[in-house]
Amino acid sequence: MDRDAVKGKSLARYKQERDWFSLLYQATKLLPGEEGRLQEKLLTILLDSKEKVVDCVENEKPFVAGYFCNAPELFHAMDLPWYMLMETPFLAASAPYLLSDIEGAESMGIGTDLCTAIRLPIYYIENGLMPVPTAVLGLLYPCDGAPMLHQVIEHNKAWKNVPIYCCDPPYTSDERAVEYFADELRRMADFLQQHTGKTLDMEKLVKVCEESNRSYALWQEYNELRRSVPCPHGWALGGPQAFAISQCFVAGDPRCTSWFQQLLRCGELRIREGKGASEKEGWKERIRLFWFDIMPYGWIFELMPWLEDEWGAVIVMDMFANFPYTLIDTSSEKTIFHDLAKRNLLDAPMIRQARGTAQNFSSDIRRIVKDYRIDCVIWPGHMGHKDGAATVGIMRETCRELAVPFLHIGLDLFDRRYASPPEVRDKVSQYFSGMGLG
Amino acid sequence: MAMFDAYIEKVSGYIDEMRGSGRRCKELDRPGSPEELREGLPVAVGPGANPGIVLRSDTFVELGNPQAGSCAAFLWTDRPSMIRDGRITLFGPDIQESAEASLPFGQVLMVGGEGLDSEDHEKLQQAQHVADQVDGYMVRSASQNLWSRVSRDAAGRGFGFETLGRALMSLVKAGVPAVSAVEILFVTTSKEDVKRLDGVVSGFKEIGRSILKETWKARGYDLDCSLDCGSCKDQAVCDEIRDAIVARRKKTESGEAGRRA
Repeated sequence: MDRDAVKGKSLARYKQERDWFSLLYQATKLLPGEEGRLQEKLLTILLDSKEKVVDCVENEKPFVAGYFCNAPELFHAMDLPWYMLMETPFLAASAPYLLSDIEGAESMGIGTDLCTAIRLPIYYIENGLMPVPTAVLGLLYPCDGAPMLHQVIEHNKAWKNVPIYCCDPPYTSDERAVEYFADELRRMADFLQQHTGKTLDMEKLVKVCEESNRSYALWQEYNELRRSVPCPHGWALGGPQAFAISQCFVAGDPRCTSWFQQLLRCGELRIREGKGASEKEGWKERIRLFWFDIMPYGWIFELMPWLEDEWGAVIVMDMFANFPYTLIDTSSEKTIFHDLAKRNLLDAPMIRQARGTAQNFSSDIRRIVKDYRIDCVIWPGHMGHKDGAATVGIMRETCRELAVPFLHIGLDLFDRRYASPPEVRDKVSQYFSGMGLG
Repeated sequence: MAMFDAYIEKVSGYIDEMRGSGRRCKELDRPGSPEELREGLPVAVGPGANPGIVLRSDTFVELGNPQAGSCAAFLWTDRPSMIRDGRITLFGPDIQESAEASLPFGQVLMVGGEGLDSEDHEKLQQAQHVADQVDGYMVRSASQNLWSRVSRDAAGRGFGFETLGRALMSLVKAGVPAVSAVEILFVTTSKEDVKRLDGVVSGFKEIGRSILKETWKARGYDLDCSLDCGSCKDQAVCDEIRDAIVARRKKTESGEAGRRA
């Protein structure tokens, strides 16, 4: 398919996804109380960012495709709409077409051992289901699978002339590495200016970063609330949304800060009222879990509510809710790029763990288990996270030292067929029973 | 094991310099066993002592907000004579006089014990991790800065830096019996002083990381290895090496135990 043919087809799919969120938005209106309004607010921001992309495609305006760890504060400061290349698996995995898309990727002959979150965008690009952007920001880290997506982009007829820039990630994590990566981000900003015609206004970048800091500070404050016993919120509210709203739509926007303020208010209120994750009659928090990965978005509704209802098991912390961030020093251009580099190279979830070092796995487990009073660490063992598979031994040994049970499942977070939800539930049940939990 | 000795000397130099510059200083000597250190404290100390969290609205004073200045270091030596056991040095205002304030905060914990070696590093690090072990005192769960709060309730009961110092000493001594001396420095004077302290101890984290790397290696795990064992063709060789290391370690340990007996 050439670029013109892709435009109509991809726009139709993009709108379909927008409409899916629109439907969810209507449903959230029925949710009661301030927490219901939180979901509504989040979806308003999400839908707004999608509308901007639709407008760009329809009216030939510049926009980019990239990742949450490409310093999205820069896009906002440049007034540049964007979407995430892995948007569907990360944000829209509940969409009804997910499984047929995965099957479509399989029928193309893409190896089923490649991470599903990478297979899906490959399928979308090859089938004209993803809007062709003005420029692409690629990812050479954290895993070797991600660059495969760029190879597809470079060979696809509709995409092959789209300029791509990938920040080169250094191997180490010291000061020299951060400074090197800061220069990479500067070059990325130059690339964006060159290819989109947008300019980077430093004054605006300062404002965006300060707003982003406000959001992150509130997020950290909220995370402290999750240390409370019982945890004020379960899997359905908190971490994953906090990650999405801070990094996936429009980073450093006052609406995001307002969302965090409301989240914090809701959490504090629940703690004062002694409420836990569920308000069902007779329900009690019995197991505090650390889910050390992305949530199983492809079949989340078949596991998480069950964990809470059946076992009183609450996801107190997960990889994307984890807060290792430091705030951005906005005193100069140098400090801004330095701290953006740190945030996007060392702090961002999954990047932090998979790019390394393996010590992050161990130290994050230690801190989280102790601070959040965790009863059990679950490493889901997503089939795409082979980098993490290399550190299972270290994680297990760390948990042994902390005397906290460690469960390694082995599943696909997006594809229910890899390990079916009943199989996973059975494995979890057996493990909890065997360890005397709950 | 003199890895941190130079830093301990530098911190002593910093203390002398601060004292010499006329900074407000309070020095206390409270040596003792973990039980003695806990005796008479206004708050409970030990696992599960802090049943809840300290909410914003319940905060009496905040310490180490990154905007105010924050620095924390943890240094140990196998030469306990370098450490003045029980010494708590505070430069700047104490907690009781800082209601509603957000104080800059520097904390250096220095630990000595004759038998300490790199294998104890992780244990020592863990022992000073406050988590839920000090009632009314909450260290925010962050991987970097030391940023904490004291609750109104704890402050009302007389919580001060002596309380915190004794609590930390008690936790470290209880967690690692090989520790015979603990000394603590607190700095709350200014962001500049905290920043300078940070400069004095910068580099200790890097040493800590390399100690951990070596410790894991001795257990048979390479922190730099990014291969999936399940699909690595060298797994059998790796397993063999790991078994050999473990066997050698066991042999050495049993030999040492035999000599001690």
